[in-house]
Amino acid sequence: MLPFLTGKFGNPSSVHFYGQEARAAVDRARRQVAELFGARPNEVVFTSGGTESNNLAVRGHCETTADYGRHIVTSSIEHSSVRGICEALERRDWEVTRLPVYEDGLVRVEDVRAALRPDTVLVSVMLANNEIGTVQPIAEIGALVRERREAGQKHLRLHTDAVQAASGMRLDVDELGCDLLSVSAHKLYAPKGVGALYVRRGLRLAPQNVGGHQERERRGGTESVPLIVAFGEAARLTRLELEERAERIRSLRDRFESGVESRVADIVYNGDRARRLPGLSNISFRFIEGEGLLINLDMQGVAVSTGSACSSGSLEPSPVIRALGRDDELARGSIRFSLGKDTTEEEIDYVLEVLPRAVENLRRLSPLYQKAVGSRQMAVGSALRVKDVES
Amino acid sequence: MTYSDTFKEHLANPRNAGTLEGADAEAEQTNPVCGDRLRLALRVRGGRVESARFLAYGCPPTIACGSALAGMLEGMTLEEAARLTRSDITEAAGGLPPRKQHAAALAYETLQEALQQAEARP
Repeated sequence: MLPFLTGKFGNPSSVHFYGQEARAAVDRARRQVAELFGARPNEVVFTSGGTESNNLAVRGHCETTADYGRHIVTSSIEHSSVRGICEALERRDWEVTRLPVYEDGLVRVEDVRAALRPDTVLVSVMLANNEIGTVQPIAEIGALVRERREAGQKHLRLHTDAVQAASGMRLDVDELGCDLLSVSAHKLYAPKGVGALYVRRGLRLAPQNVGGHQERERRGGTESVPLIVAFGEAARLTRLELEERAERIRSLRDRFESGVESRVADIVYNGDRARRLPGLSNISFRFIEGEGLLINLDMQGVAVSTGSACSSGSLEPSPVIRALGRDDELARGSIRFSLGKDTTEEEIDYVLEVLPRAVENLRRLSPLYQKAVGSRQMAVGSALRVKDVES
Repeated sequence: MTYSDTFKEHLANPRNAGTLEGADAEAEQTNPVCGDRLRLALRVRGGRVESARFLAYGCPPTIACGSALAGMLEGMTLEEAARLTRSDITEAAGGLPPRKQHAAALAYETLQEALQQAEARP
């Protein structure tokens, strides 16, 4: 990447030597990114990141198919970008069906089947959730969509937001059966500000950035060569190291969770614990609010995120955690722990040392906790009395 | 959002946390919008707050305001306590971001309820 920030300033659209040098670098990166998800290079459109990829996929497809139907099927736990796009389309007379995810955080293929209508043109379900890591049955949904398309519903397509998934599981667009797939480079340890959309050959999208011929007229604007080059390299490394990284991260995550279980009572895991990415652990701590815990941990050098409303700036706690059927208290007390390729065993052990204390400190302050402890003591007391009478 | 050092200190080492045996006032208020709760207990001797304790469930500003309020109440006369304003509480908590002013409002409401109870006692 560095040469393209310091000396190689060519514009890939220029015919001269400098331009061609940049063009070759972008082409190489396009091959590397295509290989990451088993696509052809010309099926890759570079964007500014996950949100833009999602916008181009959903809006771009819907704008070209509006004459055939105005219905979208999506899930209730999509990333805010897809959620926001769907809400914007609803304001323009589109209809959106949001599938439930149940307590395990997973979409059911039968629900997708039941939601499909003759005027459905798009199913958009994320591959893995960014808060709880649950991995959706995209290959099964893909097969269903293909079946409908072959039966005559030829404008029906499947989009999957794979931004979170890309760092933790191998992607293959043919196995997934998707027509559109969004990724973001920074989830693969490349710089922020670049991403890509996979667009299956033959699928036409209405560009959202018009006025430039770049990216085969699908996304106008001069390419960010340094970022794209970095993305290509990150994709290459991910492909090489993915299994090894995932295995190591999974074992650290398991060490973390069993450590939390043995040290902290009254916790609830969010999302199915088998069908999820290796690097995420989402836990609700009863009786306390997530941001208090976040700041306590932050002061001790541990960075986490929370589904509490306070952090997001909204009044409602995380819609993802709420969609699992959790009450407000559990949604507000949810914490997402993310592990990455550079997380160490020492770091996990340090978190296991400071976390129980931080939880305990906040619980001692909590009137909800005091009430629960009080009623438990009473329950223990009456159990003892019963025992006394029996003996 | 950034919090001040004073604010973080309240969060890391809350003052006067807990409950109070033989309290003269025990007030609890809930913010109906976000669900935050604050409980304040006072023991009053000779018209002066001898002890104040708080419990809080909610976002950090609610905890910091509870800690700041309970800390400054001790030693005050009931008249002095009645003159406290929301901005006094905010200031003692080390300041609050604009979106978090409701935490000081909750602390203020809880204080008013506790003072009413204390004054109603013979």
